[in-house]
Amino acid sequence: MDTFSALMSGFAVALTLKNLMWGFLGVTLGTAIGVLPGVGPALTIALLLPATASLDPTGALIMFAGIYYGAMYGGSTTSILLNTPGESATIVTALEGNLMAKRGRAGPALATSAIGSFVAGTIATILLTVMAPIVVEFALKFGPAEYFAVMVLAFTTVSAVLGASAARGLASLFFGLAIGLIGLDSQTGQARFTLGIPELLDGIDVVVVAVGLFAVGETLYIATYLNRQVDKLEKMKGSIWMSRSDWKRSWKPWLRGTALGFPFGTIPAGGAEIPTFLSYAIEKKLSKYPEEFGKGAIEGVAGPEAANNASATGTLVPLLTLGLPTTATAAIILAAFQQWGLQPGPLLFETQPLLIWGLIASMYVGNVILLVLNLPLIGIWVKLLEIPRPMLYAGILIFATLGAYGLRNSWFDLALLYIIGVIGFLMRRYDIPVAPVLVGMILGPLAEQQFRRALAISQGDLSVFITQPISGTVFAITVVVLFGPPIWKRISARRQANR
Amino acid sequence: MLSSTARAPVHPGELLLSLGLIALGSFVIFETGSIAEIQGYAKIGPRLFPYVVGAGLTLCGALLAWHALSGGWRHVPLDQEGHDAPDWPAFAIISAGIILHMVVIGWAGFIIASTLLFVLIARGFGSRRPVRDAVIAILLSIIVFFVFTLALGLSLPKGPFGGG
Repeated sequence: MDTFSALMSGFAVALTLKNLMWGFLGVTLGTAIGVLPGVGPALTIALLLPATASLDPTGALIMFAGIYYGAMYGGSTTSILLNTPGESATIVTALEGNLMAKRGRAGPALATSAIGSFVAGTIATILLTVMAPIVVEFALKFGPAEYFAVMVLAFTTVSAVLGASAARGLASLFFGLAIGLIGLDSQTGQARFTLGIPELLDGIDVVVVAVGLFAVGETLYIATYLNRQVDKLEKMKGSIWMSRSDWKRSWKPWLRGTALGFPFGTIPAGGAEIPTFLSYAIEKKLSKYPEEFGKGAIEGVAGPEAANNASATGTLVPLLTLGLPTTATAAIILAAFQQWGLQPGPLLFETQPLLIWGLIASMYVGNVILLVLNLPLIGIWVKLLEIPRPMLYAGILIFATLGAYGLRNSWFDLALLYIIGVIGFLMRRYDIPVAPVLVGMILGPLAEQQFRRALAISQGDLSVFITQPISGTVFAITVVVLFGPPIWKRISARRQANR
Repeated sequence: MLSSTARAPVHPGELLLSLGLIALGSFVIFETGSIAEIQGYAKIGPRLFPYVVGAGLTLCGALLAWHALSGGWRHVPLDQEGHDAPDWPAFAIISAGIILHMVVIGWAGFIIASTLLFVLIARGFGSRRPVRDAVIAILLSIIVFFVFTLALGLSLPKGPFGGG
């Protein structure tokens, strides 16, 4: 089946009334929740996992995809109007967007971010459509050794390369890997690290970990350290529409942002942080109005927003074709697939083509829904921002405890939720990144499986990972990625000193 | 690097966390020893990976401990306002809310447990109107209860009002 006909059959799935409804629900829910400060796509999907276990996977995954980009967009609305960049990817949007709002230009800022998200999302989805079959073709040649190598590369980039400190990132990754070890060993069925507690035989559920870190940990942190600050909500004044000059200044940054964001999303370098910052820097350099930067320049919103969205879609390339999550949200989506016994990867394109292509097609539809829905409903989103903080976090915690308790109606999961919440609080306090925990816990068991399969094939010979050409190359890249930047820093520091 | 110059030479919280990591890593290594090793044709049993993870945790802990002792953890952002004045009562009230919810939910049911949780969290965030909070909490819990049990098929404890 060629790509085009596969995509068309996907549209036949995505455009059924039922799946349109799931997409609509996902985008609406995602935006509404994404607008709430402190709640992102990872938490939203995690909370809905237990409630969707009995649904049809295609519909539920279409809803999750809707939540994913709905929440991305909702998050930028919040950073423009409230300047509390919850997610690192929207820090840059908060920079110029909030300044625009302060100058009474909240409308155009929101509009350029919505239309830019649509443009970037649609182009990125086209790229995903074209690229996915090519990557799948390549990935079909992968054996266990190659998969293990790619997973180690993902571990390295997610933990050691991104973020402020490699040591803290790696600590977080190993903590996630340790959580992933708990439960029955997938190969021999032996119990590991269950400490004689029967509840631990199934392992710790990803819902408990994600909700504990993102909802409970965040709530404890905000209440303990940040509650005395008062957020200032910018008023929506004037027209929400963009003027002719706004359009003229926005369309190039949208395209450049997309071109930056998508590749960064696809390589396992997770997160939209780097491309959004790069896009900001580039727009500042290329703008005809550089003096407006720092006072609210529309280019500084349009470019990074497009980059943010394109990279979010780009993340789906390794996730769907290789089963490789590179962000916290992608890790949760992978867990969602696993909930129905599905394992994303090249084989899923063969066994479940309608599900995969239906999901991809739904993203074209979802981007349109997002655009149509967002600008007219902006008044409602702003109302959500006016919820007082005590009510907001109390409400979040009701859903958080519900998500953990709903798994199997056990108080044990609530106890775990609180413990992980305190760990999340400490991680937030000491600036330890959280995403590596989730990636490690979800991907760790899969990596171990591939590692042991590879060694079973090679009769225990560890050199397979280096002698196989693809796996060897990927490991070489990993070493460069891990040790390259610190060595480079040291060399350039020495040069500076010699000068 | 720049940020560490202005700080105290030894940061107790950072050191404690690092030691915690070392302890956790050592525990993982120690526990791995009690996993029965089945030497299948695979040669690699269920022990190797846990050993690697335990060693990784211990090494990261050691590195961070060394950082903590030599001028503090590296590249800690400076913009974290409020760290010098933590509001521990708020932390305690919220913790109490979550633990109380855990204890109560089994026999008092979802709605009562969630209402208590809501009121305590709101209080932890400085709300001074418990009656209003309770009214909102009861309404929200009832809506959530029916949406999740009737529409989404989740089973939640009804408590004394539901007749079982």
